[in-house]
Amino acid sequence: MFSSFRHVISFGVPASAIKVDSLAKSFPPVYGGWRAFLQPFAASTCPALRAISFEVGEGESVALLGTNGAGKTTLLRILATLLIPTSGSALLAGCDPVRDAAAVRRHLGYHAGTDLGFYARLTGRENLRFFGRLNYLSDSILEARIPELAERFELGGFLDRQVRTLSSGTLQRLSLLRALLHQPKVLLLDEPTRSLDAIAASEFRRFLKTEVHLHRGTSILFASHLLPEIEFLADRVVVLKEGSLVAFDTPSGLKRRTGSSSLEEAFARLTRHAVHSSEEPRPV
Amino acid sequence: MIQALRDLLLFFERDLRIARTYRGPFVLELVEALFGAALFYYVARFVDSPELRQALPYGTSYFAYSLVGFVFFDYLNAALDTFDRSIIEARDAGTLEPLLTTQVSLTTILIGSAIYPFVVTTLRIAVYLAWGAFLFGFPLGAANWPTVLVVLLASLLAFSGLGILSSAYLLLFKRGNPAKWLILGVSSVAGGMLFPVSILPDWLQVIAYLNPITYALDAMRAALLDHAAVPSLARPILILMLFAAILLPVSLLAFNWTLRRTKVTGTLTHR
Repeated sequence: MFSSFRHVISFGVPASAIKVDSLAKSFPPVYGGWRAFLQPFAASTCPALRAISFEVGEGESVALLGTNGAGKTTLLRILATLLIPTSGSALLAGCDPVRDAAAVRRHLGYHAGTDLGFYARLTGRENLRFFGRLNYLSDSILEARIPELAERFELGGFLDRQVRTLSSGTLQRLSLLRALLHQPKVLLLDEPTRSLDAIAASEFRRFLKTEVHLHRGTSILFASHLLPEIEFLADRVVVLKEGSLVAFDTPSGLKRRTGSSSLEEAFARLTRHAVHSSEEPRPV
Repeated sequence: MIQALRDLLLFFERDLRIARTYRGPFVLELVEALFGAALFYYVARFVDSPELRQALPYGTSYFAYSLVGFVFFDYLNAALDTFDRSIIEARDAGTLEPLLTTQVSLTTILIGSAIYPFVVTTLRIAVYLAWGAFLFGFPLGAANWPTVLVVLLASLLAFSGLGILSSAYLLLFKRGNPAKWLILGVSSVAGGMLFPVSILPDWLQVIAYLNPITYALDAMRAALLDHAAVPSLARPILILMLFAAILLPVSLLAFNWTLRRTKVTGTLTHR
């Protein structure tokens, strides 16, 4: 409850962990046959994000909600310095992901929501040590932090097994652990509980909320299709539809503005009847 | 500087740890090197003649000449293959994106991923030469090892530029790599691997001297077979350094441009 107000207390003006300003991203069409050779030079004409703007305050947790293809992953990948936007700008911890990608990566923890991304023949611990050292964590910090986080994620028994022997859910937890290892200021999570079983997902949400979000004050932007997860974790929700921002409000605000009794109902109404201004709710 | 070296070593350590989980291939490579050395020995025995010895530099045997040519051609092959393979493996294993969201630079990732393969190639060459010396009389005593190291380093830098250019192509077009095939094809014919460049037609000799492998093989043969010192090989070493000075920055610029382009088109992880 307090976390959503933390960023407004200090100077009266909200400090932004993430600021997205008229951000747009288009991709080139996919060519086949001999024209595939021209693919790398094709003009970007297929819009994935259409000039969206919003801010995530320091210590705030914001969910990205939208149907498949709404632009959630594209947005997260731009902020993670893995894509370059077509127009508009973004700031993460005050740094530009395009012009100052190295600075952004210092403050960033990114979990792509897949169980890929590890060296299969190395153990979990070896993988974590490698990526931790690439983020300039000292051996002594890694020695202390890996077992501590592994305990949290119930990964203790898996750390010294080769990654290729681990299940999809375990790999997902390992990937989340990697994103948190260097204690980033901003955490970008793409469907973080997708492959977790119900108990592990619930544990993870609790850990994210209490330890990462409330205790450490880490700002979180996460994409999810799980509405109870969003209601539990998110201070505010960005609702995307076909690349456009149709609403940005608290879960209760979304329900109120759509006259809905549940977030699911509010989401359905918002994505069927787009609200074009995030500031001025329209009757639905 | 120390930080950069430390970062590079992280990649070497990673690859060493991965390699330790595959022990069989290392033993098989030792055996393969034995058969490779034997192949060149018997081909040389078949074609060797006083006229051929006269045509070869330093009065060496065709066995020593062709073995040096073959094993050091492996360096060019490794350079062209290593950077490509590190990109393909990272892309397929899904580690490319996690690497690109860490704090090390792309250049470090690229160069760091090449260290282990180059070390392995060097060891493989050493094993080839050791088999050659132990079983077939390769004249290891004629080598000037400090010069060998200098030539090796200069060649490595020059070839790496070609390798990074090749990986830029791969990143952009995803499949196939005609540039790599062209360089390897031309180099195998016009690089002086198995016969002196001087027997080639004039136009092919011009191509040969536009290729760093020609200078690398000339200098390496002189260092290994004629005990040549660094000053006497100043010309080919300087030319190799010149290739490196041009190719390395150009290739890194090309790779950075390509990476940026894949971030625009969203094809960084596409196959």
